[in-house]
Amino acid sequence: MSKPSKLATIILYATIIIAVLIAIYPVWFMALASVRPGQRLLALDLVSMFFPQDITWENFQRLLFEEDFIIWLKNSFYVASLTTVLCVSLATTGAFAFSRFQFKGREALLILFLAINAFPGVLALVPITQILRSIGLFGSHLGLIFAYSAGTLVFTTWNLKGYFDTIPVDLEEAAMIDGAGPIQAFVQIALPLARPALAVTALFGFLAGWNEYIMAQVMLPGKEELHTLPVGLVSLAGDRTVPWGLFAAGALMISIPTLIVFLSAQTYLESGLTMGGVKG
Amino acid sequence: MATTFRGWKKVAIISLFVLPTLISVFLISLYPILYNVFISFTNRNRFHYNPPTEGIFACTTEAQGTYCWQSPILKNYTDLFGPLVTPESLLSWLKIVILIAPLVITYLLIERVRKSNLSPPDTWWWWLVGMGGSVGIWYVLNLSNAIDQLMNTGDFFIVMFRTVLYVMACMPFFILTGGILALILNNDAIKGKGIFRTILILPWAVPNYITAKIWEFFFRDESGTINQLLSVFGIEGPAWLQQDLLAFVAVVIINIWLSYPFFMTIILGALQAIPRDQYEAADVDGATWWQKLTQITIPLLRPAVMPAIVLSSITTFQMFNTVWLVTQGGPIRGAGKPGATEFVMLYAYKAFRTDRYGATGAFAVVVFLLLFAATLVSMRMTQITKGAYE
Repeated sequence: MSKPSKLATIILYATIIIAVLIAIYPVWFMALASVRPGQRLLALDLVSMFFPQDITWENFQRLLFEEDFIIWLKNSFYVASLTTVLCVSLATTGAFAFSRFQFKGREALLILFLAINAFPGVLALVPITQILRSIGLFGSHLGLIFAYSAGTLVFTTWNLKGYFDTIPVDLEEAAMIDGAGPIQAFVQIALPLARPALAVTALFGFLAGWNEYIMAQVMLPGKEELHTLPVGLVSLAGDRTVPWGLFAAGALMISIPTLIVFLSAQTYLESGLTMGGVKG
Repeated sequence: MATTFRGWKKVAIISLFVLPTLISVFLISLYPILYNVFISFTNRNRFHYNPPTEGIFACTTEAQGTYCWQSPILKNYTDLFGPLVTPESLLSWLKIVILIAPLVITYLLIERVRKSNLSPPDTWWWWLVGMGGSVGIWYVLNLSNAIDQLMNTGDFFIVMFRTVLYVMACMPFFILTGGILALILNNDAIKGKGIFRTILILPWAVPNYITAKIWEFFFRDESGTINQLLSVFGIEGPAWLQQDLLAFVAVVIINIWLSYPFFMTIILGALQAIPRDQYEAADVDGATWWQKLTQITIPLLRPAVMPAIVLSSITTFQMFNTVWLVTQGGPIRGAGKPGATEFVMLYAYKAFRTDRYGATGAFAVVVFLLLFAATLVSMRMTQITKGAYE
């Protein structure tokens, strides 16, 4: 490609720098608010809208030692990781079978999975809350795990099937010629090869639960000690009189690890964007 | 592999693999959906909440506290659709179809010309003709009346219409911002691409309930950051979230900020897959930058961008968190009427929150069917585009 002229280069840089500023400003704003004394998001003057002035760590201290932040963190971790473990362990064998075996009803089942996946979580609130109430799990973490698994299980199966599709079948066939059964081929050949895929799928399952807000809000009413992080944090930002600095501090502490995880897994995410490659 | 096993042994092995997954999917994922379909045929709500003691099939009376089959059984559905199939409404629908017709015809004609000619002629001005036709039809048939008529038929059309409008308002900006940034990042003159790219992806990576709250603050009227910035230039900012149109614009802006990284990533990936020699050949022929963009880059991007558009439309259509945390569906004019930003999922959520279970169930079934159809379309597109790359 021919090199753009000097003027064009300047315009390109200017555009991208403006875009970068817009992309980063809300996050920067959050960081500023978290260290600003006086418990407010509102900056008084133009300078303090862009640069930190008096820095205080009070918000972080209060959040960590006085508020329920750590409890929310534990709850979120518990719910998200249990959902992930449950879904990945239940999905893996099925995903392998869908990728490797031909059997009656396979296509129909795949379409069914796709249909279930198209059912949005918010719409499932009615049936899921009713079911949870009738089996007595409403208002508990176990109930929330059930609710999350409804979506994550199918997503996980699809995703893993897609990854198994990309692993060449030759190795397993070679093993089977040498006398290995399909179970052996699965456990000793396919699973070790799929380890990175399992990790990434688990990660996305985890992030989905970790960032989920509305179901947790509905399913755990009024019990602050059961709140997950999203619910807890949003409650800190509830209305005009609440401590915004606390929200900002909590949001920052959550965003940074989530961000690092997301960015490092991002290349895998791209390949999984079409739900794990959809070959029939 | 499958050929190695026959008969009962094959069945046993496949069952061993499939059944654990299948049974749990049926119990955890499918059962709630089927249960929802069932609820959609009942009169379950705040006043009818208990299962009938004599069994749902024997239950005929509307005893206080017990829910029964809705009578007639499709009532929840006809409540949604009924007013949309009256003769008057059908006429309005027909007008809308006629309105879209010139655009569809233009598209079909262009596709034909493209396929039959080795070097297709410039067809962009055909779109102008098509659009002109549509605008003409709008005035001749008085389309704003037709839409008003449909808007008066009830919540379902209003909510759907606004949601579709929202998707259509967002998509061009997604593509434009994502595309421009991808083109810049793909330009050799830019240094430090890795860093730029990482920062530009931030809006995608930060949990959306957090960014939604921050944007909600930005759009507040007096203390909001946007209005503070405007006041520096002597402009008195509007009360963004209190006016219908501005609230709509606000959630569009927020969604652009949230979604351009997805398009940027997809388009950048596709740009890097375009062979360099295509451009070199064009350079030899003395093509301008604009010609290269429209004749090489955009046509080659189409197979990658089309599925992304469908996928992103589905996501935008069912957007909940961000809009809910910013506007709560408001501003609301009058009780019982959907607010200006009350899109499909927010409407369903509010119906759920007011315990209208039967009605919410029916609404959910309808929306689900639409989403499933869209998913199938996106799958087909992905498959077609896969063919285009191979």
